[in-house]
Amino acid sequence: MLSFIVKRVLSMLLSLVVASVIIFAFIHLIDGDPVYIMLGDTATPEQADALRRSLGLDQPIFVQYVLWAERVLHGDLGTSLFFQAPVTTAIRDGAETSFLLASLTMVWIVLMGVPIGMIAAMKHGSWLDQGLSGVAMMLASVPTFWVGLNMILIFAVWLQWFPSSGYPSIFEDGGLANLRYLLLPSLTLAAPNAALILRLTRASMLDVAREDYVRTARAKGLKPWPVVTRHIFRNALLTVVSAFGFTFAALLSEAVVTETVFALPGIGRLVVQSIQNRDYPVIQGIILVVVVIYLVINLIVDISYRLLDPRVELQ
Amino acid sequence: MNFTLKPLARSLGLAAALLLAATSLQAQNKGGTLRYAAISEPAPLDVMLTTAGVSVAIGMHIFEGLYTIDSKYVPQPMLAEGETISDDGKTIVITLRQGVKFHNGKEMTSADVVASLNRWGKFGVRGKLLMEKATSLEATGPYEVALKLSEPNGAWKSLLATIEGGPAIYPSEIADKATDKPIEQTDYIGTGPYKFGEWRPNRYVELVRFDDYVARSEPGDGYAGKRVAYFDKVQFIPVPDVGTRVSGVQAGDYDYSETISGDLFDQLAADPSVVIHRAGVPLFGLFFMNSKEGILKDNYALRRAIQMALGKDQAMRVSFGPEALWKAQGSIFPPGNFWYSEAGIEAYNQHDAAKAKEMALAAGYDGTPIKLLVSTNYQAHFDQATVFVQQLAEAGINVQMNVVDWATLLKMRGEPSQWDIFVTHHGVPPDPILVTFLNDGYPGWWTSPEITALKKEFTGTADLAKRKEVWDRIQALFYEQVPAMKVGDGYAFDIISPKLDGLGETTVIWPTFWNASFK
Repeated sequence: MLSFIVKRVLSMLLSLVVASVIIFAFIHLIDGDPVYIMLGDTATPEQADALRRSLGLDQPIFVQYVLWAERVLHGDLGTSLFFQAPVTTAIRDGAETSFLLASLTMVWIVLMGVPIGMIAAMKHGSWLDQGLSGVAMMLASVPTFWVGLNMILIFAVWLQWFPSSGYPSIFEDGGLANLRYLLLPSLTLAAPNAALILRLTRASMLDVAREDYVRTARAKGLKPWPVVTRHIFRNALLTVVSAFGFTFAALLSEAVVTETVFALPGIGRLVVQSIQNRDYPVIQGIILVVVVIYLVINLIVDISYRLLDPRVELQ
Repeated sequence: MNFTLKPLARSLGLAAALLLAATSLQAQNKGGTLRYAAISEPAPLDVMLTTAGVSVAIGMHIFEGLYTIDSKYVPQPMLAEGETISDDGKTIVITLRQGVKFHNGKEMTSADVVASLNRWGKFGVRGKLLMEKATSLEATGPYEVALKLSEPNGAWKSLLATIEGGPAIYPSEIADKATDKPIEQTDYIGTGPYKFGEWRPNRYVELVRFDDYVARSEPGDGYAGKRVAYFDKVQFIPVPDVGTRVSGVQAGDYDYSETISGDLFDQLAADPSVVIHRAGVPLFGLFFMNSKEGILKDNYALRRAIQMALGKDQAMRVSFGPEALWKAQGSIFPPGNFWYSEAGIEAYNQHDAAKAKEMALAAGYDGTPIKLLVSTNYQAHFDQATVFVQQLAEAGINVQMNVVDWATLLKMRGEPSQWDIFVTHHGVPPDPILVTFLNDGYPGWWTSPEITALKKEFTGTADLAKRKEVWDRIQALFYEQVPAMKVGDGYAFDIISPKLDGLGETTVIWPTFWNASFK
């Protein structure tokens, strides 16, 4: 077992090195650099060169990589060239927004997608089913920014029920009440995803409903409701729940548009802005953290598989 | 009888005016947090080094220079008290105001000014324009500095009054150690009416009222005169989406939103929940020609043919929309400005395809593609380029657009082999010498013997009338050698909350949040 873990960790470290080289190379291969964005349009090439030298951006790319990797090994992801604060602080700050937004969105997805999907399946073929499926298709197709801007117009400008944009942390003045800032964005982000979960719930319930054991349950005289809840829904839920995992991961990356429309300080917007500004330390830092998270999750999964099933070998 | 009553009437009038002024001052309330929705996160706030928009808009509340400009773009003293200039124009002695405090509590003295001007001269984005010819800069007393130049510079005061990339005064201990890298956040210490609070990435940059601020006594005018900070805090919040910036003010979440798109102008003008704040001074698009390399190098006749083909009014209508937001006029400086000139402007907006074709042939143009570098980050640039490419095609001039993002464009334009024309825009500076096409290091690299001689003549005198006459000749040469083509004057517009007071009509570029308050 120990050798399995050691081998797995070593392979993870190797993946990490390769990934870090790829991240670094790709980011520096994009044309353009941060110095003109920092200095403004008026700067001459000589001034830009001088700043480039001061920031070490004139060094050969492998030298820059080694210097960066050395700092990362000491736990230092560097400092943003723009907001002049440690990259780790920015990631921590952005992660709070992104994580809370994705979590709240998941709540809406589950609350809207699953029950409505169930109703659609139970009323399969009826006008209600057709209507709900139609609405779901529409929600899945409408662009997020359009939904977001309309949400702002209706609920923030006209009705003034919610703030239009921004998000002060729940750890600041206002505490948990600050979650109201995330209500409209999370509903916006939930709309297309809830529609997909609705369709998935409906489809898998209809699949399960055709199984022999459901027919048996009905044949032995069970009333329709217990058949649906105990036999169909429970089994159909397996497929739906496994889709929740993917959806949650997808939400983190899909959130960029929603974060932009609602001016939320999330990770997605941080990455996009840093790419536009060529704020190399921030882009590298965020991507590296994401890679590490994925690798660690994989490692944990591999190890738990091995614990559960000793026949699993490292190939 | 009349004779005796006049002074009385005058004093009564004065008393009434003073009373009115006092009431209007009382009417402005202290307090509150002003929330400003900016188009993006700023670059570092080291205003000596940067001309980047959002950074300057924020930084000018923290830092001040020796001079600044009033509403007519005339330099006025800010941290300076006054100056004397030697007869030959080469020695400038500036006296400083006494009792001015930095945000760290230290009093500003000549040592800080010398250190700051030195740093600006060495690394400041516009420092070389003045300090390159400086033979010495000394503190001649605690509140007096002497700047000696090897030749007179007629633009010296305008250069010292420049806000973006200009010589802000930093404490000497910060200026002395500062290099060409932006100073750290902990060193954002100036003399302005607001001091730096905190910078939360992607959330806001917060400024806090500086209670020990010592204001000038003259009434506020442009950036000059008395500055009173009424807000407790000013937050600059990055809100990249224009729709959100608009809704934010309508919903009361922001008090000021910058750079709203032209297509929303009519709708917002009729909306009582917002007040339109149109810039009183334009930005103008510039299509730079490559004077260093390629097909347009030294071929002034071909450049004139290109300009002949263009209808600037069409490009302005497409890129700015309602006519209230643009003016197709050829003077580099707008009407009403001291530097406004009609020299050469007949060539500005001809839009004659047949004549352009003829001129291009005569200039030896053989259909070789002309490389146009443009970015989509500024929609107006792209719209204008698209209109011009079509107009040039009608004149048989073949243009290939290379569309990239702004960061890439800024890098590529430094490489002369990559482009023949690139697109940018320009604001109205305090002095023509700050216009980028006169900077021979700026991409475009206009260094013909004619312009070099004219520039020398232009900076060699402090006589305004003489300088204006030379500027007319420079503008005529601008239309003859076409180092760049002016597209037209575009007036950006912002929207503000009706709750704000003191942000009336303005002729300066950046909004200022001193002398403004909540109603």
